[in-house]
Amino acid sequence: MVTKTVDSYHFDKLEETIAKLNEEDCTIIAGGTDVMVLHKSRRGVAPKIAGPVVFIDHLSELKQTYLAEGNLHIGACCTYGEMLEHSLIPSVFKKAIREVAAPAIRNRGTIGGNICNASPAGDMLPLLYIFNAKLVLRSFLGDRIVEIHDFIQGPRRIARQQNELLVEVILPDVVDEESTYLVFEKIANRQADAISKVSFAGLLQVKDGKVADARFAFGAVGPTMVRSLEIEKKLLAKGYPLRAEVLEEVVADFSSVINPIDDQRSTAYYRETVALKLLRYFLTSKELS
Amino acid sequence: MITKDISQSVVKKDHVDKVAGQLPYISDVKMEDMLYGVLFRSPIAYGKVLSIQYPTLPEGYHVIGAEHIPGGNFVKILVPDQPIFANEWVNYIGEPIFMLVGKELKVLYQLLDEVEVEFEEHEATYTLDDAIGKMTDVMATHEFGESLQSIEKIEQEAYQIIEEEYETGYQEHVYLEPQGMLGIYQEDKIQVQGSMQCLYYIKNALISALACDDDEVRVIQSPTGGGFGGKEDFPSMMACHVAIAAQVVKKPVMLLFDRSEDLVVTTKRHPSKIKYKTALDKEGNILSMSTEVFLDGGANTGLSPVVLQRALLNSAGVYKIPHYHAKGYVLKTNTVPNGAFRGFGAPQSFAGIESHMGHLARIAGKDPLEYKRRYLVKQGDPTITNGRFRDPVFMEDMIEDLLETMKYRETKEEFTRFNQQSPRYKKGIGTSLFLHGCGFTGSGERDHIKATVKLLKTKEDKVLVKISNSDMGQGIFTTLSKIVAQELNVPYEEILFPYPDTKDVPDSGPTVASRTTMIVGKLLERAARRLKEQWQSGAEQEIVEHYVHEEMIPWDEKTFSGDAYPAYSWGVNMVEVEVDSLTGNVQLGEIHASFDIGKAIDERIVKGQIDGGMAQGLAYGFMEKMTSKQGKIQQRSITDYGPPTSMDIVHIESKLYDNPYAGGPYGAKGVGELTLIGGAPAVQSAIEDALAVSFYQIPITPEVIIESLEKREGEAVDKI
Repeated sequence: MVTKTVDSYHFDKLEETIAKLNEEDCTIIAGGTDVMVLHKSRRGVAPKIAGPVVFIDHLSELKQTYLAEGNLHIGACCTYGEMLEHSLIPSVFKKAIREVAAPAIRNRGTIGGNICNASPAGDMLPLLYIFNAKLVLRSFLGDRIVEIHDFIQGPRRIARQQNELLVEVILPDVVDEESTYLVFEKIANRQADAISKVSFAGLLQVKDGKVADARFAFGAVGPTMVRSLEIEKKLLAKGYPLRAEVLEEVVADFSSVINPIDDQRSTAYYRETVALKLLRYFLTSKELS
Repeated sequence: MITKDISQSVVKKDHVDKVAGQLPYISDVKMEDMLYGVLFRSPIAYGKVLSIQYPTLPEGYHVIGAEHIPGGNFVKILVPDQPIFANEWVNYIGEPIFMLVGKELKVLYQLLDEVEVEFEEHEATYTLDDAIGKMTDVMATHEFGESLQSIEKIEQEAYQIIEEEYETGYQEHVYLEPQGMLGIYQEDKIQVQGSMQCLYYIKNALISALACDDDEVRVIQSPTGGGFGGKEDFPSMMACHVAIAAQVVKKPVMLLFDRSEDLVVTTKRHPSKIKYKTALDKEGNILSMSTEVFLDGGANTGLSPVVLQRALLNSAGVYKIPHYHAKGYVLKTNTVPNGAFRGFGAPQSFAGIESHMGHLARIAGKDPLEYKRRYLVKQGDPTITNGRFRDPVFMEDMIEDLLETMKYRETKEEFTRFNQQSPRYKKGIGTSLFLHGCGFTGSGERDHIKATVKLLKTKEDKVLVKISNSDMGQGIFTTLSKIVAQELNVPYEEILFPYPDTKDVPDSGPTVASRTTMIVGKLLERAARRLKEQWQSGAEQEIVEHYVHEEMIPWDEKTFSGDAYPAYSWGVNMVEVEVDSLTGNVQLGEIHASFDIGKAIDERIVKGQIDGGMAQGLAYGFMEKMTSKQGKIQQRSITDYGPPTSMDIVHIESKLYDNPYAGGPYGAKGVGELTLIGGAPAVQSAIEDALAVSFYQIPITPEVIIESLEKREGEAVDKI
């Protein structure tokens, strides 16, 4: 029996990598923490990866984190471990990162990988959604910027062209964490090496007793993150603490946009109940300053 | 090193190899010409095999099936109902039908995909509830205690009757090393090596399957990365597979499971349903209790009848219940067979009785612990089988001490205040009281096991321990060497204790039932004492010791009466939890545990048993969740099953009580299983305390908690 080996590329420069992507459809490996699991074979047999592989985790161009014009740029190949150490990464992201898998995975897994894996339970995704993350996709033609909610189309379905590479994540107008109520919650069966049953990110700003900004997104309650700008809009300029009718309306609206399922990790009933409880709690628990 | 007190900890004999990662486990073994085996498993839960279409096999690849079995096509355990290869009827998803053997795993997996088997499917029994509904396939049943007529009479006059149904789920062992077995053909003889707890169980199964003589098979234990009972009964089947294959192909054949195969097809802890019917007087005092235990046996009998015995013998917990009756059944379902698991039926029973007693306390308006203490057995009290608790019982002291250490009353008051102020998080404290009967039930050691140990002294005055028990991580290389060394007054490092090989060790019994230290250790202590007396420097000497039965109140297996165990180990667990009422997540707080195990042979090794056993027991109560859907196990990865990580388990503060037992070496009793038993009931009691809600099942997962809280909220709204 002939064992076919897979071509693999490991270029020194980003441009070479981009050029190769233009020639061939490659499986891109950053940390490999999802790709290796996805293509795992039974014991004793190498992973089955169809087509060539291109490694990108060593490219220094993809590991930069910096502020530019008030926007935070995070290189797609920054690992969780690196982000945890970086002073510019918002602390709510660090809270989320500390709940990702365990240190070994956090030393390999990258933010770009988490986005491109497009899991309904992706740990970074709820926060990226409420921070209105924009993604920089580079090809030989140049850069294209896409909103994260347009990029992620479904479980493991993303709007990346074959010749494109996700190079950077931009968090526009990073909010001041001091004056903003930010929450991230990962609900899982244990405290490490776990996959979310429900995840939640919320952002609330109250000015002069009125809601100035309200955003929230849930993971693992639908095929992709669930965020509704329409529902969020209903909260704007509403008096805070919210009146019961406003709260009930928002929670009811939200219950109609989530669509959780039963699986080996939890039940649809649990996911829906907990998601709505978390939302209700989030919208009522901010202490008035 | 010679320690003054045997309890003083020493470095484990296999410490360096294990820590350095140098110890080769069975999956590390490579032999010349070695072939791999992969099993074709039933995709259906119940039905008849009509035809099998094998793919064209490349040179050097073989099909090994029922037709190759020289002896009977069953794995010899208790009842011959477990086929080695199920070639007629299949009884569960995952049951082996045949094995493909060849050099390359990749080729074998591909061939496996090309196999076509035609089945005639029959209606399967998927759940214990289905089986209870039908009551057609009873694999075992026992009944004992006071007559139901006299209990009925008490019930008629009682103030109230409380009936409860309690359910426990699957538990998976999650030993670090998945199952693996290697069969080697050598000059008309078969040798089997692998990860195992019971060498002679395997040897006997091989003699039966191969229809061969005693000296034609040889079983050698490989370094074993955890067993927990999962390597008690199950490895016998794998051993038959590789031995039969090796005999046919005349080459070594290796069978290794990866984690997902192991999770789906190997034995689990029996799911159970336990029904209680308790008569109370006006003050909530117990007048009588009758208990019915139903165990889900899975597709074949395995060790289930014995598991049921232990479940029933422990069904009244540590309590002296007036007018007690117990009955139990093992029922067949078309699901993966359930088998031995640390505690062996007792964890289900203790979870149930502790839960029931807690609920009765609530009815009586008492604190659960206060209520339970009123019924606690004392030295000299009869057991539920009319045996006697002959040795001192320290439970009251252990409880008093823990109440003080934990500042029980103040903590309870503090938690009540906290819960009033905290809308989201709720704190609670729970206690479990438990025991474990050490060694085999009844006269099992005398009538069935008949353990023999051997000490061999070489001409160079080296002493070798020759027994058939496995060190699977629990540390018997060290503890048993310490016992022998202490008697001989030599450093324990000098005692040689190689991995056992049936070719040169007698049958000292299986490594199960918390018997190794107490029973086998005692025999070794006696052997060492005799060796010392007869010591002749420079001469080869052999000392053999046989089990001697200590006469108690004779055990009658038919009527379930007499002393069920020679000795009992005892435990008290107190557990604090914080429950997130929004998500149902439970965070462990302080954990305190006290145990009476007679005498610790090595304190650190015992601490390892405590920490590991309690982690496994606590997780059984609220984390580890395995489900079967239409006969198929749903959780195929450790992540999905969810055993605790080091982030989930907190520091466990434990304390040992010396209460030497004359029948054990240096007074030691059993420890391995005991430590698991109290975890689940303590955590349930703590969650109930935090939420003021009663639960009737374990694991109490966040899903169960949220459902209960929502139900309570719904009821509260209904009342308005």
